[in-house]
Amino acid sequence: MIIDTASKYGARYSEARYQSDTYESILLKNGTPEMTTFDVRRGVAIRALVGGGLGFGATNIVTKRDLKTLVSRVLRLAKASSRIVKTPISMGEAEIGRGNVEVKSRIGFDAVSMESRIDLLKEADSAGVESAEAIGVKLPGRYISLDTLVTEKLLMTSDGARVQSTIPKVTVDAFLTAFEPQKGTVQRMFSLGESSGWESVEKWNLPERIKKEAQILGNILIAAKPMKGERLDVVLGPEVVGIISHESSGHPGEADRILGREAAQAGETYLGRDSIGMKVGSDVVNVVEDPTIPRSFGYYLYDDEGVKARRRYLIKQGRINEFLHNRETAHVFGVSSNASSRSVAYNREPIVRMANTFVEPGDHKLEELIEGIENGIYVKNFMEWNIDDRRFNQKYVGLEAYRIEKGQLKGLLRNPIIEITTTGLWSAVDAIGRDLEFSAASCGKGDPMQGIPVWTGGPHIRLRNVAIGGIS
Amino acid sequence: MKAEDICEFVLKICKNEGASDSVVTVAEIEETMIRFSNNEITVSNSLKDASAYIFVADRERKAGVGVADLSKKTLLTSARRAVASAKRAPPGDVYAPLPKGPFQYDQTALDQPKLEMEQRELVGFVESAIDAGLREGAQRMAGSLIARNSRVILRTTGDVIVSARSSSIEISVRAFLSSLASGHSTAIAASERDFKPEEVGAEAGRFAKASANPVDGEPGVYEAVLGPLVFSDLACQVGRSASAFNVDMGLSFLGGKIDQKIASDKFGLADDATLKGSYGAFPFDAEGMPTKRTAIIENGTLRSYLHNSSTAKKFGTESTANAGLMIPHPFNLVVEAGDKTLEDLIGSVDKGVYVTNDWYLRYQNYATGDFSVIPRDAMFLIKNGQIEKSIRELRISDNMLRILSNVSSLTRERKWVKWWEVEVPTLSPSVLIDNINFTKSSM
Repeated sequence: MIIDTASKYGARYSEARYQSDTYESILLKNGTPEMTTFDVRRGVAIRALVGGGLGFGATNIVTKRDLKTLVSRVLRLAKASSRIVKTPISMGEAEIGRGNVEVKSRIGFDAVSMESRIDLLKEADSAGVESAEAIGVKLPGRYISLDTLVTEKLLMTSDGARVQSTIPKVTVDAFLTAFEPQKGTVQRMFSLGESSGWESVEKWNLPERIKKEAQILGNILIAAKPMKGERLDVVLGPEVVGIISHESSGHPGEADRILGREAAQAGETYLGRDSIGMKVGSDVVNVVEDPTIPRSFGYYLYDDEGVKARRRYLIKQGRINEFLHNRETAHVFGVSSNASSRSVAYNREPIVRMANTFVEPGDHKLEELIEGIENGIYVKNFMEWNIDDRRFNQKYVGLEAYRIEKGQLKGLLRNPIIEITTTGLWSAVDAIGRDLEFSAASCGKGDPMQGIPVWTGGPHIRLRNVAIGGIS
Repeated sequence: MKAEDICEFVLKICKNEGASDSVVTVAEIEETMIRFSNNEITVSNSLKDASAYIFVADRERKAGVGVADLSKKTLLTSARRAVASAKRAPPGDVYAPLPKGPFQYDQTALDQPKLEMEQRELVGFVESAIDAGLREGAQRMAGSLIARNSRVILRTTGDVIVSARSSSIEISVRAFLSSLASGHSTAIAASERDFKPEEVGAEAGRFAKASANPVDGEPGVYEAVLGPLVFSDLACQVGRSASAFNVDMGLSFLGGKIDQKIASDKFGLADDATLKGSYGAFPFDAEGMPTKRTAIIENGTLRSYLHNSSTAKKFGTESTANAGLMIPHPFNLVVEAGDKTLEDLIGSVDKGVYVTNDWYLRYQNYATGDFSVIPRDAMFLIKNGQIEKSIRELRISDNMLRILSNVSSLTRERKWVKWWEVEVPTLSPSVLIDNINFTKSSM
C-alpha cells in the first residue's frame, strides 16, 4: 500500500520497512539487581525520492489512515528538500534481494527466566569479587548488564526488494573498578555479543570470565609498573586490533563520510573519492568487513535497502581496496552498493554502517610474534581511546600490558600510550597472528544518534619501532 | 484511548495486581529533522510516535515495560507483565516509596506554545544558516536542524496526575573552508522567536575562515581558552558524574567528595530545569516531582549529587527531582558566568591555545577523571595576548578535577549548547584554564 501510494503521487523510488525490536534487560549494580526492563519498539519507516530530494518518515501508529498521512508527509518533505538540492539524489543499481532470513536459536530467550538470568549475573559478580579479594583488592564500583533483543523486519522497495528477517541478539556489558588504598583504582569495561540465542551466554561462561578479569585487574593495580616513553616493538591483542580496525579502517572508508554527509556530526575522513589503491599500510595488512559471519553481532544477509550482503576488503595488501556504500553513495561513485545500509530502529533512516570489521588472520603463532621482539611491549586490551573526526590521529591507552624482553613476556606495565596516525600505525605492522577473536560494540553514528551492533576483532599483530608514551 | 485514560487504566491494573508503587507515562512526539551537507539538503525526516512506559515496584523489587502498541489489550498484558516481573525479581538494595503528591507545578511550564513546524519555514532556517556561513567566507556548510513538539502525561500511585507540552528547535552547523579548516556553532531554543540560525551559520563561517592554513601544533602544557562548545562538554561530564547512580557505580570522579573543594573558587555549576523559556526546562521529573534548581558545585565546592527517590534514600538525603526511574540525570546545566570578555581571556595569555570545539571524550578512569578529548575545528595558538596562527592535530590529555581546579577566569557572555557531543543542554561561558596538557601523535 505504502509503495503504491508513494509511486502514484510521484515518488521515483520508495521503500517501506516494518521493524519490531523486543528487548529484555537486567542490570546488576555492585551485586544488587536494578530494574528488570522489557521494551517493544515497533513501527513503520518510509523513504521516498521526489524530484531529487530524499524524504524519510516513521511512526509507531500503524493504522491505514496514519500511514497514508505519513506517506503524504514524506513526499512533501522530499519535494520541499529538493528546493535546495543541486545534485539530485538517486539510488544506484544493486543486487536486490528477495528472501527470508531467520537466525534460529538453539535455546530461545523464553526458555530462560529473568530470575535465572539474574542468578547467573550474581554468580559471575561474586566470582569476580572473591577472586579480587583473594589478592587483597576490592571491587567497589561495578556493573554487569545482560540484554536480549529480537529484531523482526519486513522491507519492500519500489524496485522489487522484499526481505523478511528475524534475528535474535544477546549482549553482556561489564564494568569493574579495582581498588586498593595504597594504589588507588583501575577500571575495565568489556562487551560480549552475538546474533544467536541463549546458547551464546552458556558458551561465554560468565562466572569464569569475570573471575579472570577481576583477578588480572587486581594484578594490574598492584603490580603494573609505569614506563617512560620510548620507541619499541609492540604486539597488540585482538581487542586492540578490533578497535583499530573499526576506527582506523572502517570509519574512514564509509562513503557517506567521504561525500561529507556526516560532516557536522561523526565527521569526515582523511580518504578522498580517489583514494582507492592508496598505500596506507604494509603489505601484510588486510582489513575485512563482513556482515555475513554466522552468529556475529553485526550479522545480516540483506541490508536495509534490500541489497545482498557480502564480504568486503577495505584494505588489501596495505592498499585501500573498497569503500562501504549504500545505494545513494554507490550511485555517486559509479559503483554497485556493497550492502552497507543499516538502520538501528524503525524510526531511524538507514545510513552507511559497518557490521563486523577485523584484520584478516595471517600465519604467526602468538609466541612467534613475541619471540621476534628484543625490546618491546604486549598490549592485550585497552580502556581509553579516541580518534579525530578525519580518522587519522588516534590514541589507545593499554590496560593489560606487559614488557617483552629478549622474546619473553615480563612484568605488567601501567597504561602504555599509543598515539599515532592511521598510516603510521598500519605501515608499522610487520606480522599477523593466525588467531581471531571478536568483541561486541555499539557503533555510534548519525543524527539522531544510531548506536548499532557490530563486532570488532582480529588476530594478534606485531608493529615495529612505534613511539610509545608513558604515564605522566 | 486518550493518553490520560491510558494512564488511569494501567495504574488501576497495576494496583489490582498488587504493585506497591507504579508510574505510567505516555509520551507523544512529533519531530522534523533536516540534514544538510555541501550546502544542500541531503534528507528530511519526519517522526510521529506515541508510546507508554509502565514502572512497577513491589517494594524493593522493580520492573519496567515499554509499550509501543497502545491498544487496551496490549496495555493490559503489559501492566500484568510488569507487576508479575517485579514480584518475581530479586530485591534491589533500597525501597523508597514514590514521592507523595499532589504537587504544585509552574502552570506556564506545563503548556508551552507549539512550534508550527511548517516545512517551508524549516527549510528557510537551513537556507539562512547556509547562506550566512557562505557570506562569511566558508566554502561548504553541513549540519542538522531538529524541530520537536511533544506531550508527556504522567500518573503515579503517589497521587500525581500531570501533563506537559513542550517544544524545541535546534541547529548544529559546521562550516568548511577546506577539509582542514573548519568551524562549528550550535543554537537551541524552546521557541522560534528565540531561534537565530543565521547567527549560528555566520559564527561557524567566521571560525572556518579564521582557521585557514593550519599548521601542526606542538604538544606541551599550555594556558588554554576553551570556547563554550568545549567547556559545555566538560560541564556536561560533571553533570553526568553528579548522578548519584553513576557515583554509586564507580562511573564518577565526584564520588566521596560532597562538601569538598574540587574546583577553582570561580567555578559554579547548577542543574536548573525551572529556567523559563530554555530548551531543557521541564516542570516535573519521571517520579512526578516538580523540578527545581540544584547547585552541584558552588565556588568550587561540591554541594550535591543529583537524586531520584531511590538514590536519595540510599545516600541518606532528599530527592533533587532529577528522576530517571532508574538513573537520575541533569535536565539543563548552567555554568556560572564570569566577568570577562573573550578578548580579556585571550589578551591575558602569554603562550596558550584557544580551542573552539572538541569531540570524542573518553576516560582512562572514570573514578579519577583521567581522560582525553580531541580539539576539533578552529584552534589557535595565542602569543602575547594575540591569536598568532591556526593550529591542529593536538589532543587534550588531562584530568577532569585538575582542569576544574585550574579554572582561572570566565566570560560574562554565555551560550546554550547541545549537539551530538553535548547531550544535556548546557549554558556555558568561554573559560581560561591555567594549564592543560596537550599531546600529539608522534608518527
